[in-house]
Amino acid sequence: MSASAGVRPAGTVRIGVYLCECGPNIAGRIDLDAVRDALLAEGGRYRGAELVVKRYGFLCSGPGKQFLTDEIRDNGLTHLVVGACSPRDHDSTFMGVCAGTDLNPYLYRIVNIREHCAWVIDDPSGATGQAVSYLLGGISRVLRQSPLHERPLEVNPDVLVIGGGAAGMETSLALAGNGRRVVLVERGPAPGGCMGSSSAAAEAVRRHPDIRILRESEVSKVIGFLGNFEVEVTRRDGPAETVAAGAIVLAIGSRTFEPTDDPDVSYGPDDDVVPLEAMERLLAGGGEPLLRDGSPPRSVALVHCVGRGELGYCSGSCCARALALAARLRAVRPDMEVVSVHRDLCLPGRGGTGILDRADASGVGRIRALRAVQSGNELAVEAMDGTPSKRRFDLVIPVPGTVPADDTGRLAAMLRIPLDEQGFFREMHRMVDPSGTATDGVFLAGTAHGPKDLRTALRFAGSCAGQILTRLVPGERLVPEVKVSEILEAYCTGCGNCREVCVYGAIHADPDRGISVVNEAVCRGCGNCYGSCPSGALRTRHFTNEQLLREVDEALRRRVPVLPEPPVAEVHP
Amino acid sequence: MDGRPAVRDVLVIGAGIAGMKAALMLAGPARRVVLVERLPIIGGKTIKNEESFPNMECSTCMVAPIQQAVLQNPHIETLTHSVLEGLDGAPGDFTARIRAKARYVSLEACIGCGMCWEACPVTLPNEWEESLSERKAIYVPCAGSLPNVPVIDAERCLRLNGTEECSLCVESCAFEAVDLADGDRILERRVGAVLVASGAETMSPAPFVRLGWGTLPGVFTSMEFERLFASNGPTQGAITLRGSGTVPGSAAIVHCVGRAEAGYCSGVCCMAAFKYERFLHHRIPGVRIFHVHSDLCVPGKAYQGFADGSAGDRSGLLYSSSMPDVEVSGSGDSLLVRYPDASGAVAEVRVDMVVLATAIVPDPSSAALAGTAGLGLDASGFVGTADPSGGSMETSRPGVFVAGTAQGPMDIQGAVIQAQAAAGQIASLLDRLRVDRSGAGSGKRPAS
Repeated sequence: MSASAGVRPAGTVRIGVYLCECGPNIAGRIDLDAVRDALLAEGGRYRGAELVVKRYGFLCSGPGKQFLTDEIRDNGLTHLVVGACSPRDHDSTFMGVCAGTDLNPYLYRIVNIREHCAWVIDDPSGATGQAVSYLLGGISRVLRQSPLHERPLEVNPDVLVIGGGAAGMETSLALAGNGRRVVLVERGPAPGGCMGSSSAAAEAVRRHPDIRILRESEVSKVIGFLGNFEVEVTRRDGPAETVAAGAIVLAIGSRTFEPTDDPDVSYGPDDDVVPLEAMERLLAGGGEPLLRDGSPPRSVALVHCVGRGELGYCSGSCCARALALAARLRAVRPDMEVVSVHRDLCLPGRGGTGILDRADASGVGRIRALRAVQSGNELAVEAMDGTPSKRRFDLVIPVPGTVPADDTGRLAAMLRIPLDEQGFFREMHRMVDPSGTATDGVFLAGTAHGPKDLRTALRFAGSCAGQILTRLVPGERLVPEVKVSEILEAYCTGCGNCREVCVYGAIHADPDRGISVVNEAVCRGCGNCYGSCPSGALRTRHFTNEQLLREVDEALRRRVPVLPEPPVAEVHP
Repeated sequence: MDGRPAVRDVLVIGAGIAGMKAALMLAGPARRVVLVERLPIIGGKTIKNEESFPNMECSTCMVAPIQQAVLQNPHIETLTHSVLEGLDGAPGDFTARIRAKARYVSLEACIGCGMCWEACPVTLPNEWEESLSERKAIYVPCAGSLPNVPVIDAERCLRLNGTEECSLCVESCAFEAVDLADGDRILERRVGAVLVASGAETMSPAPFVRLGWGTLPGVFTSMEFERLFASNGPTQGAITLRGSGTVPGSAAIVHCVGRAEAGYCSGVCCMAAFKYERFLHHRIPGVRIFHVHSDLCVPGKAYQGFADGSAGDRSGLLYSSSMPDVEVSGSGDSLLVRYPDASGAVAEVRVDMVVLATAIVPDPSSAALAGTAGLGLDASGFVGTADPSGGSMETSRPGVFVAGTAQGPMDIQGAVIQAQAAAGQIASLLDRLRVDRSGAGSGKRPAS
């Protein structure tokens, strides 16, 4: 109790109810003096609580906030109810007022008598009656609220990056470039991915003193939460070690669809068929396209959209890669016929049309087809108008889509991240939080999130680094949500319903005690678990059944008069 | 600037989804953000859409919490109705000159009750609603505007343009919030880095006479159609034809409008077109819908599923072998769309309504902004990045970054990712500059 609370005897409950006039917006429709009288008349019913009820011009103004501050102190208020506007407008304003006094902000309640009463009920007596009902509900609720206290946590600013491909290397360099220590876990012998282990990025990662590379290793266990993860990393045929990190970046990449899994594609080892990626590597290494018998091909077909029907999505970057490769093939061997067989060409962005123009200019032929069926080196093509034709090409290059990396499911389960319909890690929100996940502190970079071109993959990496750099700041502490769930041990049967519905993985079983336990640092207070508990052991703080139901009960206790109804005096004698 | 410590504060130009996300990431006790928005409201283009693909999620519900967080953040100075007029200096020490245009209404005193615009006698087309509805000379662009405070159109206000001594808005205001003596203010802010997130526009189809927009009342642009569907828009979400007010029984969505002229595929218009199909089915049971298209562009893990789910049995997909040869003609509510089919022969479809899926092009203000801030534009007129292939969002001017559709056409996801990447790069740059200038650092500053 504060010194100023000396004006009331210890143990007294004293509720301040302050009614904002909001100029004519509330006072012009609601008789605030009648509201005050009605509340004071009802006051005795509230466990002997003392009520202070006052009106004021604009509570959100500077003088209004000072008035509230003084009232809280001078009256030694134990609870505060503000009858004003939408909490979206000024809930944080009045919580801030409380925070500047000894009154815990969670012992305050805003009641919206503007949008919910004054603005929607034309009849003044109806609006006034409804305001009284809602305020009685608010008083009833605030009496059942409990003080909540923020407990800031120390955070570890170091980062664990899983996957040493383009996105993983970009993330690591962006973080280490800002002084963060990074542990990079790579399954293979060296970082590089599609960029190659001798690329400039791979070289920079190897040389950076703040990037520690764990080669031929994989993550085998993860516990903890944003700011404080502990990750067990196991080296192939070697010992496990535990790495502490404040955040984890999933940059495990993707793999290529197996062309013969497409029912329209069949070929065997005796056919001259080389998939896109293999041909890209061959040309990048200075090789020349040759047939199995060593002779140069006279005709080459690139077949787009292999696997698209099975996958149900367009990978978005294969058309550009295929056309770029086609143009390179023409450059390598100008006497060779090169044909791109496609239906829709997907070339989004300003670079795309240029790739098509260069392919066209280099003499790459194009066949637009509703469907192309490949059998060895023979293509059966159905033209856009339905006309069928068949043709044999010396060399066929299937252009397959992108599919999730093999390790995706295992890591998703370990990190409690759902997969989406396509089997990639599901983002927290497709539009406004695309690199975040359901497990706060775990981020998605590159094609682990879904198929994309290299530049977009690098920007996802930048997004992960940006969020980590601005949220996990060395020396700053994180304030976890305080309106979280709690489990009353005496009532919990350990049935596990709550663990199943928790999307954040915040609840775990305690087998020794036979109960479920909430990790408050992970819980975000969504309330899913609250509804799932059959034994009444769970509650979500600040939104308990008692708080909610008593508020509704009290608001509905009296029949709320709706227009046209008797005058105020009859409603509140 | 030698000897002066690097400034930590950041200037963000544009309060759309990219600018707001970046501002929220960067703002904190140690770093203020100055957020400059050209319009009198924040939120950007996203809030013009009733729903966003592919989740068909209410855009306002998605963006309003972000807008609120921006307006309530004590570390963000939001300057609406303001433009950048000058940017001098170098990374760590820029001086930005900002013109905060006269709003004539106090942001502190006004509560958005609307008495003033009810009193105003001047009625004008509402540009924010693609001129499909009207506004007053004192107005908010649409219901739900944030901040919910009107602005006076000084050129059209009878008092401010000198026509007559009208003061109805002043008299109607119970809060003494209207101040007709308000004037522009020139503000100077010292910042360490700048993010340009000033957005883009959709191409006007006016030059394409063959498509009938502007002459045939049943032809709509994509932005007009978005507002037609919006529950806070000019028809409260009723899809009706201009003029006659009738509900269309059939519609054709013409893809790739302006693609050839722009020289690129915008990558999002096909998705928007399939969204319109869902809108139409949602509001008009039994409506018949056609897509006149060539290459359907639905890249990424979630988009084709959305398109397939929209297009049903695909019988409405009409392949055109040459989009620049598509023509729309007709009279009244009956429109004829003619297009070359797969064989090159002219095919046609008769519909009540035509929606033109127009390309995304640079905002006209981008060029002016680039001139003011000394930024390079790419060949298409978007703000370019210095490294055209890497992940850096830094422009040709060191210390100035770009994100969102100011950089090129993209969806909301792409804009958010770029904003987050740019925010991280800005935070890194400013941290490095402080370390370097305090003399405590090793002087290491990796090339960006």
